[in-house]
Amino acid sequence: MTGPGARGAALEALEVDLLLEGVARQWGFDLRRRSRPQLLRRLRRHLREERLDSFSALQGRVLHEAEALDALLRTLSCTPPALFSEAAFFRDFRTRVVPVLRTWPSVRVWHAGCGTGEDTYALAILLHEEGLWGRCRLYASDVSEGLLADARTGVLPLPTPEDARRYAEAGGKGALSDYYTRDGNWALLHPKLRDGIFFTQHNLATDGSFNEFHVIVCRDTLLAFNRAMHDHVHGRLFESLARFGFLCLGRKESVARTPHAGAYEALEDCGRIYRRVG
Amino acid sequence: MSPLGLLVVGAPRSAAADVESVLALLPPHLPVPVVLALHRGPLDALAAPLGRRCALPVVEPDDKDELRPGCVYLAPAGYHLLVDGSCVALSVEPPEHGQRPGLDALFESAADSHGPRAAGLLFTGHEDGVAGLHVLQARGGRVAVVGARRAGGDGEEGELEQLTPGTVGGWLARLAYVPRSRVQP
Repeated sequence: MTGPGARGAALEALEVDLLLEGVARQWGFDLRRRSRPQLLRRLRRHLREERLDSFSALQGRVLHEAEALDALLRTLSCTPPALFSEAAFFRDFRTRVVPVLRTWPSVRVWHAGCGTGEDTYALAILLHEEGLWGRCRLYASDVSEGLLADARTGVLPLPTPEDARRYAEAGGKGALSDYYTRDGNWALLHPKLRDGIFFTQHNLATDGSFNEFHVIVCRDTLLAFNRAMHDHVHGRLFESLARFGFLCLGRKESVARTPHAGAYEALEDCGRIYRRVG
Repeated sequence: MSPLGLLVVGAPRSAAADVESVLALLPPHLPVPVVLALHRGPLDALAAPLGRRCALPVVEPDDKDELRPGCVYLAPAGYHLLVDGSCVALSVEPPEHGQRPGLDALFESAADSHGPRAAGLLFTGHEDGVAGLHVLQARGGRVAVVGARRAGGDGEEGELEQLTPGTVGGWLARLAYVPRSRVQP
């Protein structure tokens, strides 16, 4: 069936392919191995927000202006908008991973795909509360410099009572408000947290391993990639994870079909936390 | 008509009981996968109750799980469920119409990946899903809305085929078998 809808779809698909090719060749960001349905939805949203008529128009802008590229990368990023967005993960991390980390003299943690840093700061608060902050090095990376710049400021929208409730549910030992100073509708996180995090630009799709880590947190970040790239990135994560280190994925992500599935053991009775045993 | 490759179903929370009834109508050897998004909160356990009377297994897939015929894939809480060719793709894009999983997202992805080979069924009662169903229809997919009567978005749903819980069975039967019998001489 080739109605006007189908013809429009074919043309749109062509324009999207040209846009992605252009971005890859001009800026070195290869978006062609993203999850196609999510990419299409984010791109269409971006087009509406930018009030452009077609992807060809967007292509013109993105090829010529670095700011337009960063705006595009920003739209493509989908990181949680609040601290402790998934209480269950932080609770499991606290009860199952932290006791092991305590037995190690030093711990390197990598948060891959940190976006604007909400989960990174939540992790920092947790490590601080558990007395591990002094011997932890927390690295947080994202592909977008713009998002990282936001994350580095240590300024977040003021946490809501709902955020505080999730913090408590995650096993929080104090009050969430102990960790920030209020400034109007914003929260300035304590410098001791912010200054202990190494924010760094890193593209999971193209950059190699940059250290060996004891914990890698990469939650819902790989949803944005297609199957081939997802498996490729898992290779990088595997290379970056020390033996007996922990890999923390999103609630509906799995290592099951990745090339290194056999090297991981899932921690029982908790979300998707895996331990590298092989 | 192209042979059917996928059935997508979207429903607001208020239609959960109707969805359960419709799942019970699906034959045990359905030759296509069913992908279902139902508005839900973070703690709703849905797969088991929805599967109670359904002849097919109802599962909440992990990201990038393969779609197999004769299986019902239910959108997990907190994620949009999208179709990517022969796989599912989960997404943590922001909620739309206040909902994640969202219905528009699923219909839109089915339209992109399957076009005329997808059939879409939307239970009425929420604004979410109407736009996505129209996209699927425009790409040649066979679509219909289910509701006891026209509720919400009356004008927009005007040109869509209207079914009642009583007539869905006939619509499904025509979908699943007519196109296949046409391609098999």
